[in-house]
Amino acid sequence: MGVNLSAIITAENLLLEDLENKVIAIDAYNAIYQFLSIIRGPDGTPLKDATGRVTSHLTGLLYRNVNLLEAGIKPIYVFDGVPHELKSQTLAERSERRVKAHQEWKEAISEGDIERARCKATQSSRMTNEIAESSRILLTYLGIPVVQAPEEGEAQAAYMASNGEAWAASSQDFDSLLFGAPRLVRNLNISGRRKLPGSRGYKDINIEFIELSKVLEENELQSREQLVDLAILVGTDYNPGIRGIGPKRGLKLIQKHGDLQSALDAISEDIPQAECIQKIFLDSEKIEVSGLEWNEPDRDKIIDYLSRDHGFSKNRVTSALDRLKSKKRDNKSEQSGSQVSLDRWV
Amino acid sequence: MFHAKIKSEVLKGIVDVVSTLVDEAKFNMNADGFDLKAVDPAHVAMIEMNVEKGAFEEFTADETELGIDLDKIKEVLRLARSGDIIEMKQDEEKNRLVLNVGNITRRMNLVDITGMSDPRVPNLSLPAMVEVTSDELQKGIRAAESVSDHIALTATPEDFEMYSEGDTDSATLRLPKELLLSLECEEQVKSLFPLDYFSNMVRSIPAGSAVSINLGSDYPVKLEFEIADKKGSVRYLLAPRIESD
Repeated sequence: MGVNLSAIITAENLLLEDLENKVIAIDAYNAIYQFLSIIRGPDGTPLKDATGRVTSHLTGLLYRNVNLLEAGIKPIYVFDGVPHELKSQTLAERSERRVKAHQEWKEAISEGDIERARCKATQSSRMTNEIAESSRILLTYLGIPVVQAPEEGEAQAAYMASNGEAWAASSQDFDSLLFGAPRLVRNLNISGRRKLPGSRGYKDINIEFIELSKVLEENELQSREQLVDLAILVGTDYNPGIRGIGPKRGLKLIQKHGDLQSALDAISEDIPQAECIQKIFLDSEKIEVSGLEWNEPDRDKIIDYLSRDHGFSKNRVTSALDRLKSKKRDNKSEQSGSQVSLDRWV
Repeated sequence: MFHAKIKSEVLKGIVDVVSTLVDEAKFNMNADGFDLKAVDPAHVAMIEMNVEKGAFEEFTADETELGIDLDKIKEVLRLARSGDIIEMKQDEEKNRLVLNVGNITRRMNLVDITGMSDPRVPNLSLPAMVEVTSDELQKGIRAAESVSDHIALTATPEDFEMYSEGDTDSATLRLPKELLLSLECEEQVKSLFPLDYFSNMVRSIPAGSAVSINLGSDYPVKLEFEIADKKGSVRYLLAPRIESD
């Protein structure tokens, strides 16, 4: 979800290796949703353990984080707190859509339409407390720091990227830029070969890297405030936006009139609560986080949790964890520091 | 103007020490001898060298800068035997250096020195000073080489230690104060260095020389020693490896 500004944003492609040694603050719910919608059986049923608990997200978190850690990336997962009341409407709509999709999925299954079933199932992904909680447990066992945001996880992740606690924020949503992340990494958790929803084809998905300063510069915007104003015109998670105004038209309006209110006046439109939405992006509640640590993955606990409690194949879990062990051996040299230049002392 | 005669083994000593870090160097000649400063291409190690005219059998020079390709000097040295005298002469007209060994004359173009400015020398205050023979350093390096690519140098008020750690194995050379030529150290200092550089530098030190090692924590190391029968002095600097920050 989030604001759709892709039409005016150019991204640079990165490889996982390019992010070595970088701390990335990941919007946890965003990542988990991706796993929930992508990791499913052929007919769209999410992966489940023997007791019926969904495990798609655990599979995703395990393998993806092993990849990230193996590439020397330092992830931080930032979980949502209480959503802002303005978002409730969006959330309610999403929930409705999910219920509907779930219904349609069941119909498709009974009709034997696997393609459609899979597509509908993807749309019916739902976050539950159990999913959030099990994600936290697994991340903690993996030695990856978890941060609880007071409000939006994305706002907190963006804040951590802006104050240097992280190098970049990671989310699929461009909202991170609105929340002030100087750097945004997209597709971190889904890069690679992916099946496209609703088609039989595959596509290579690259990691995209976007810099706020470049977005502003390329679009001749003076400030993040203007980008936020543009987003509100087009529509965000907190407001539907003005009908008929997409990113390009919106951009022209903001460039011409300078700010949201003047742009709205010019086209005789009104957005109720506009100031309140601006405030969410520019001034939402964040907490100071420091001294985060990445610990050694707790092999025994991970194997216990995934294999014994959630029915994962023990072999697959251990072989994933073994990749980290061998990585660590390769990194012995890193542990013994990195070479610096004499110029440092000149 | 530069014209000198030098024993082949003395010239070899000078060239070996410099060519450890660079292939070409700018020699700053003056009436009393020459000096040289060079940094390796990666800016990880640096050499400062002074050689008095007394290191030469004969020496006359004006203040002049000569860019010399050290590989070419080595080629000439291969033609000489120990004890042979090598005559070196600048041909200012043709911008060449001419070397004579016995009946062989080897002419070589001088290297263009525009752009070969003297590197800036870091200003370091290194709290510990250890004096040890180059042979002991060699031993420590040989022990480390089979274990790791890095070597940690530690000085304490009691001893000096060279330590390297690999995946499974480690090696230590510990030299208590009694086995050192001297030791000045108020509290423990430790820095980690790339073994290949350190080993090449130590290898170029004349056997049996006293080496003074100036050390700090996560700081470059300075190795000082004499060459050319005490008529020349060398200071090597090597940047440390530092925990990624």
